[in-house]
Amino acid sequence: MKLLINLNNCIACKACEIACEKEHNGISFITVIETDNTALPITCRHCEKAPCLENCPTKAIYKDKNGTILINQNKCIGCYMCYIACPYGIPVIDIKQSVAFKCDLCQKRINQGLEPICVAVCPTQTLVFDDPIRFAIYKKQNAVKNLIRGAKDEIRFSV
Amino acid sequence: MKKILSICPYCGLGCRFFIKVENNNILGIELYKNGINKGKLCPKGITAIDFIKNKNRLSHPLKLVNNKHLNISWETALKEISNSLLDIKNRYGANSIAFLSSARCSNEENYILQKIARLLGTNNIDHCARLCHSSTIAGLSQTLGAAAQTGSFNDILESNLLFICGYNPAETHPVIMQYIIKAKQQGTKIIVVDPRKTKTSWFADIYLNINPGSDIFLINSIINIIIKNKLYNKNFIYKRTVGFNKLINSTKDYDLDTAEKITGISKDILYKTAITFATAKKAIIMWAMGITQHTTGTNNVIALCNLGLICGYVGKKGCGIFPMRGQNNVQGACDMGALPNVFPGYLKINDDNSKKIEKFWDSNNISSKPGLTIQEILDAISKDKIKALYVMGENPVVSDPDTSHVIKVLKKLELLVVQDIFLTSTARLAHYVLPAAVYAEKEGSFTTSERRVQWNFKAIDPPKEAKPDWEILTLLGKELNLKQINYSSVEDITNEISQLIPNYRGITPERLKEEINGIKWPCPSINHKGTDILHQTKFATPSGKAHFIPVHFKSPKEEIDEEFPFILTTVRIVGHYHTMTMTGKSKSITKRWKEPFAEINPTDANKLNISNNDKIKIITKRGSYICKVKITNNIKPKMIALPWHWGANILTNRLLDPTSKIPAFKINACRIEKV
Ligand code: SF4
Ligand code: SF4
Ligand code: SF4
Repeated sequence: MKLLINLNNCIACKACEIACEKEHNGISFITVIETDNTALPITCRHCEKAPCLENCPTKAIYKDKNGTILINQNKCIGCYMCYIACPYGIPVIDIKQSVAFKCDLCQKRINQGLEPICVAVCPTQTLVFDDPIRFAIYKKQNAVKNLIRGAKDEIRFSV
Repeated sequence: MKKILSICPYCGLGCRFFIKVENNNILGIELYKNGINKGKLCPKGITAIDFIKNKNRLSHPLKLVNNKHLNISWETALKEISNSLLDIKNRYGANSIAFLSSARCSNEENYILQKIARLLGTNNIDHCARLCHSSTIAGLSQTLGAAAQTGSFNDILESNLLFICGYNPAETHPVIMQYIIKAKQQGTKIIVVDPRKTKTSWFADIYLNINPGSDIFLINSIINIIIKNKLYNKNFIYKRTVGFNKLINSTKDYDLDTAEKITGISKDILYKTAITFATAKKAIIMWAMGITQHTTGTNNVIALCNLGLICGYVGKKGCGIFPMRGQNNVQGACDMGALPNVFPGYLKINDDNSKKIEKFWDSNNISSKPGLTIQEILDAISKDKIKALYVMGENPVVSDPDTSHVIKVLKKLELLVVQDIFLTSTARLAHYVLPAAVYAEKEGSFTTSERRVQWNFKAIDPPKEAKPDWEILTLLGKELNLKQINYSSVEDITNEISQLIPNYRGITPERLKEEINGIKWPCPSINHKGTDILHQTKFATPSGKAHFIPVHFKSPKEEIDEEFPFILTTVRIVGHYHTMTMTGKSKSITKRWKEPFAEINPTDANKLNISNNDKIKIITKRGSYICKVKITNNIKPKMIALPWHWGANILTNRLLDPTSKIPAFKINACRIEKV
């Protein structure tokens, strides 16, 4: 299961940011960026080849059995390397504790069999927690439906 | 730990969530998947518990003494208020008293406040529906006979076309976007009409950025195209409507060339819109403030009804006429008769009906003369005709147009009582302030935009001496010697409502507590399931038929001239709610939505030499307002859009729609200066 995104759905309501920050002691690991006429949430991709993990000098960052990239704060020295290496600037250094935190896919909720809170709350299905293979099939089906529909509309307006 | 099922206190969708409590402390929100929101929440919903334990909550009755609010006891407060009310009534008559009820309070609370007003002998009771959907009520009552959304949210998923007009759900009802997006994925076409390129327009198949205030021209010309192409629903028109010939005559001159000039939409797109709409087979028309808040608000609504009716898009699945409501109980407050021209259940105020009400309430004091609307109440205060105003959960100083005028007027009152949860700008002026409970601290029923009545459960106790509004009003009723205000529980009131209002007949507290996801009115009997779709076989008009009513385009009343060359329109943003009394107390909200930005077009910004984030001063005939600028093509040249939450009503005008008396917030002449 991966945290995936439906492009073009986001309305920049930021419910995901707020839900994440409430779940994680006031820090949000998801950030919604709005540009002209579209918006997108950016959060940890839990990369298969994670630059943050590869560049962590103390091996504080690890991949768990589900493929989730997590930080062991006991080993972290707060060197900012993960944050520098991450293409999306996801890890956050908590100055007070001098250690890094990042999206943990809401481990507390996952352990209870729940979806991550950002996914659960998102009112537009922008954020989904799904099996990438199933998600890909679903996207293909949608693409086909849209093509057929588009062709029908062409016919209607050409008469 | 306990989990209590709650209803979001903000908009009219009726989203639900659990509040987690332990020892009268709130631990957090847990999502509830079986409500209409399917577990989803917007930023306001997810922070809906943040303000509850705020240290500035009102927790004692207050009295204004030498310009300071001092704590007094409930006993003294209620005694003094009721003495003062009765004294004013004796000196100046019952109509020297007015009441503002609240679309944020429960059905029971609205019912009891309007009952107190009427037992005292006045129909001067209104609430902020006047400012949002009063045009809808006026328009729908004349055309369809029932002032409510005709179908259910689920109809969105069954529809082939959504005609979204002057409504921006992506900002104001994020949770309904899940229905709209899902429908779109299934092939539903989306048409968005708005002078601003809103977030909702991102989802449009056809987007019409019309000139502000040209709605009727647009709709009439679309009707004209449909009629000319014979794409109307003959059968439906013949069987279920009256007045089609009048409609044909009244729209035949709305030709495409003039429409293009007035609406700013090209002929091609107008044509395509009309054909797409008429051939959709199933369509829903949705609207909100962009339609209602105009001097032509009522006629705008009627025009939309005409459009829906010619194609027969009412009374069946996947179809409907949907006014989208903005407050958790604005539908209910209207149903309960917290309006000056109708008794509970939209019973017109006249001699016969006031007799009926007198009999039901065992009173001989019910006035058969309609009362005054909010704006008329303020006028009457300024003319010394109204001396006492009792406000429950409203903040007219921030929400009503022309703030300086409102403050000046309220200061003239002999008695201003405000019942609220915080010391709002209005409460600051009050002679007495009564501390009320918030939604999570009380029980009662609330009616959503789709007529769904849901029960709200109590999670925690109110702070110190604060009380639920219905309890305060019951105590006040007793002080006023009104023997008919005699309730020992909120359920007593729910039961009385179900006896009086036919549409609520089968909606009892027992059922609401059992049928957790609510019951949609009309629910005429205890065994009735409730009604998803109105007008399936007949309309709620006396004849049972829908009425086509010809309406004509008129230019907006506020004139744009050389001195004030810009059109200012007020808007909302997703993070905040109305006057920010509640959302303004959530850190998660205020750090993301700190301040208002006025949107202006790059061409205007260039001319005025303004860049992003610069401060500007917006000036109207009423006042001036300083804020930062966001430059964007999403707004047309010569227009400026400003969120009103932070007090922008200092700028707005008091021009009203003649029928509904709604103020025209959407069109104000202004000029801009760089500061
Ligand atoms: S923090 Fe950045 S680099 Fe690390 S897994 Fe997440 S997205 Fe990849
Ligand atoms: S999965 Fe959880 S931790 Fe990660 S961004 Fe979403 S809410 Fe935050
Ligand atoms: S909750 Fe969903 S729609 Fe809202 S900002 Fe986040 S991703 Fe976008």
